[in-house]
Amino acid sequence: MNMLTPLPAAKWNEATATHLLNRAAFGGTPAEIEATRKKGLATAVGELIDQRAKSADIPAPTWAHPRNIQSTRMEIKAAKERGGNFQQKERQVRMMEGEDIVDLRRWWLERMAKGPAPLLEKMTLFWHGHFATSVQKVRDAYWMWLQNDTLRQNAFGNFATLVKKMSRDPAMMIYLDLQQSRKEHPNENWARELMELFTVGIGNYSEQDIRESARAFTGYRIDMTTQQFRFAPFQQDRGPKNFMDHSGPLNGDDIIDLLVKKPACAQFIGRKLWRFFVEDEPSNAIVDLVAASLQAHNFEMRPVLREILSSTQFYSERAMRTQIKSPVQYIVQTVKLLDAPLPSPVVAQNAMRQMGQILFAPPNVKGWDGGKTWISTSTLLFRYNFANYLINGDAILPPGAPQRRQGGDLGFIRPAQLAEQIRREPIDVSKLAPTELRDKPRELVDRLSARLFQSPASKKETETFVQYLEARKPDMSDQTMRGLVHLMMSTPQFQLA
Amino acid sequence: MKPTLQTRRKFLRTSMLGAAATWTLPVFLEKTFFALDALAADAFTQTVTGKDGTILVVLQMAGGNDGLNMIVPFADDAYHRARPRLSLPADQILKIDNYVGLNPKLAGLKSLYDEGHVAIVQGVGYPNPNRSHFRSTEIWQTASDADRPLSDGWIGRYFDNCCAGADPTVGVAIGEETPQAFAAKNPTGVTFSRPEQFRFRPSEPDGGRMSAEEMLFRQLNETASGEEAVAAPDGASVGAINGKTKSDLSTLDFLQRTALDAQLSSDKILAIARKSKSTVTYPQGQLAASLNIIARMIGGGLPTRVYYASQGGFDTHAGQINAHQRLMTEFNDAVAAFVSDLKQQGNFQRVLLMTFSEFGRRVQENANGGTDHGAAAPMFVLGGAIKPGLFGKCPSLTDLDHGDLKFNTDFRGVYGTVLDRWLKAPSQTVLGRKFPALAII
Repeated sequence: MNMLTPLPAAKWNEATATHLLNRAAFGGTPAEIEATRKKGLATAVGELIDQRAKSADIPAPTWAHPRNIQSTRMEIKAAKERGGNFQQKERQVRMMEGEDIVDLRRWWLERMAKGPAPLLEKMTLFWHGHFATSVQKVRDAYWMWLQNDTLRQNAFGNFATLVKKMSRDPAMMIYLDLQQSRKEHPNENWARELMELFTVGIGNYSEQDIRESARAFTGYRIDMTTQQFRFAPFQQDRGPKNFMDHSGPLNGDDIIDLLVKKPACAQFIGRKLWRFFVEDEPSNAIVDLVAASLQAHNFEMRPVLREILSSTQFYSERAMRTQIKSPVQYIVQTVKLLDAPLPSPVVAQNAMRQMGQILFAPPNVKGWDGGKTWISTSTLLFRYNFANYLINGDAILPPGAPQRRQGGDLGFIRPAQLAEQIRREPIDVSKLAPTELRDKPRELVDRLSARLFQSPASKKETETFVQYLEARKPDMSDQTMRGLVHLMMSTPQFQLA
Repeated sequence: MKPTLQTRRKFLRTSMLGAAATWTLPVFLEKTFFALDALAADAFTQTVTGKDGTILVVLQMAGGNDGLNMIVPFADDAYHRARPRLSLPADQILKIDNYVGLNPKLAGLKSLYDEGHVAIVQGVGYPNPNRSHFRSTEIWQTASDADRPLSDGWIGRYFDNCCAGADPTVGVAIGEETPQAFAAKNPTGVTFSRPEQFRFRPSEPDGGRMSAEEMLFRQLNETASGEEAVAAPDGASVGAINGKTKSDLSTLDFLQRTALDAQLSSDKILAIARKSKSTVTYPQGQLAASLNIIARMIGGGLPTRVYYASQGGFDTHAGQINAHQRLMTEFNDAVAAFVSDLKQQGNFQRVLLMTFSEFGRRVQENANGGTDHGAAAPMFVLGGAIKPGLFGKCPSLTDLDHGDLKFNTDFRGVYGTVLDRWLKAPSQTVLGRKFPALAII
């Protein structure tokens, strides 16, 4: 059987090291790329794969523990009905609903940007898009955090195990109405999406399979006291079922096992993995190779990822520098390259919204399509202007801008108390453009191009950047340097990794 | 109608070689020049609006508009009984017939109705109504069935199927983020709150004169510096390949094309915003400001087929009476100004404005002087060339669906009618199936 072919050691170089860091992490600085190159393929990949989720690195948010929003909401409703006082409780719920989710997004972006396990975070992001669940329906940041934690703990583990954990995940259960599913009235939402979106893909099951599967998943409940999954045995349909070519008193876990064993599942997951990590339109041949790997390793993700990230196919010329950075990748990679802090939580959330990828709020259960769908005239202009903000700080709004609510230039409403969120210092550009290089325009441009584009800029682009420096002479101040960095980031090239 | 190869080449050369730099045309553009002369007539590809095409303006009333207090069944006792605090007195209603009339704040709308420019479709909704803002809005934006979510917007599917190769300003949304209705396989359309905002911000804004940075930015993103953008003769996208869309290009080419489109759209929009001025006075408020921008873009000849604006604040769970009356006033005054403006421009015949909301509200008022999420509600269709009147059936106030009005017209019938008869686009392709048409156009 055809397998992914390992990349020969002789082919490992700066370009492959760059590519590995772009895809299996969130990009690398020149120093990181050089360090990776030095390690050699096996060590570099090994270190990425062997990362474990150590929660001590970046502790969970302080509010991320079981707390019952539902009962607070019921209290508010009751108070409203009898005309009682509910404002304080309402503020509490608003915080739980609104501010905590902003904080959760901040927390995950920090893990991506500063945590020691970028591939683990990237894989968690992959699973988040796969098992797409939105806080807009779940309405509880704790449950969203819990799902994220479960995804991370199992990101490199066994896929079938992960699917079973998702069937018991409170956020997922709410999102796909699983916790309402009863013997008398099995809910088909989860059963359908389990097959269509999570395992075998459309066209590989029948409506009867959905109905029988729905029966198998009855009795799944969320215990409101512990805020965790529990079984309600009296709600379970334990009768015999006919699912695909199997019959018997199948339960939910049995269904999942049967689905994962189907060749269609290896194809479906294989294609998704390749699209996420390598290229938008994988050939059937490549998908077959990845599917073979998944089956050979019984859907253990660690060895599969090791094979993918060590293969000649992964490092093909065709795949390098051709992936449009997702909005999340764009934010994290840009601040790394600028050696600057992440934007404030509210700004980051707004940027994700404007660019079309809000963590914890995928547009629907299909997740994000990715690729060219990230780019429209509006989102591209936004990326350019956002780069301006990241580099130059809050210099866009005129001094003394009105503090009342208004649609600001960066596209968010700006009540006075959020002004702090927007304020940002210009970056320290001396790290990117050291003083001794500032009177050597060509060398400076080459150095920056290597850092930002990770490959030499085209002749035309290089000329343009040098022209900028020439036009600004004799001003070689930080402001000019920041202008140059902004110009370089305001290009089609910079959108690619 | 299609531009010749010569005029298009001339346009590109002047706009791209304005800068002192020497360039060669990027490869993908060179190829397309020769393809242009051989443009196949694609039945589904529409040329964009240019001077005379029809225009659709979609106006979202976000939050769930209380249709019962907008088009009011004043003669129905059940209305007054269900809403002791919220019902509007019958003698204040602007009567349309013996049963229904308009909210007293909608005098402008009533005049337009009397002039024959308003169609009111009553009882609009869909099977298995969803009462969640997020999910129901999505249903209206994607025109999906309640139980089968779709990702692409209905207008996005119209763009995908019928506007391949069109100018990226084929869709313009006024607001902070692109509405899901525009989501498409080949993302197109432009979103901004203020026209001057939709542009590249150089690091050091130079206050008027274009900085070196901005000039060079344009070079990097394949367009002119310092030149007023000239709209291509028929408004079609520069470098359109016959019927092919941007997604057929390599990733880098796709990015470059989008960057070029962004620059050209941005220049066009800014130029129109600077030149045009409405002679009509618009009231204060965000809706009026949005419609004002749209009117100026229409008057300035932006080749847009679909505009999108939204008015928020309709989620009136408590203390509805003042809030909703304010919203009705805002709606009335803004729309009246917009229509006056279009009439003055001579463009009113070309424009159709359609309202929608994610749901109506419950018949029975609640304990807080407001109403909760409901289901069926009216849609308003206004324009210089529509067929006016009352359409659909006014829903019964007593035969309810879990306390909510039952719908009798599927909203996709309204969309379908607008697609087929106004935009001349195949509604079956865009909506997935055929819905009964309405005689509103």
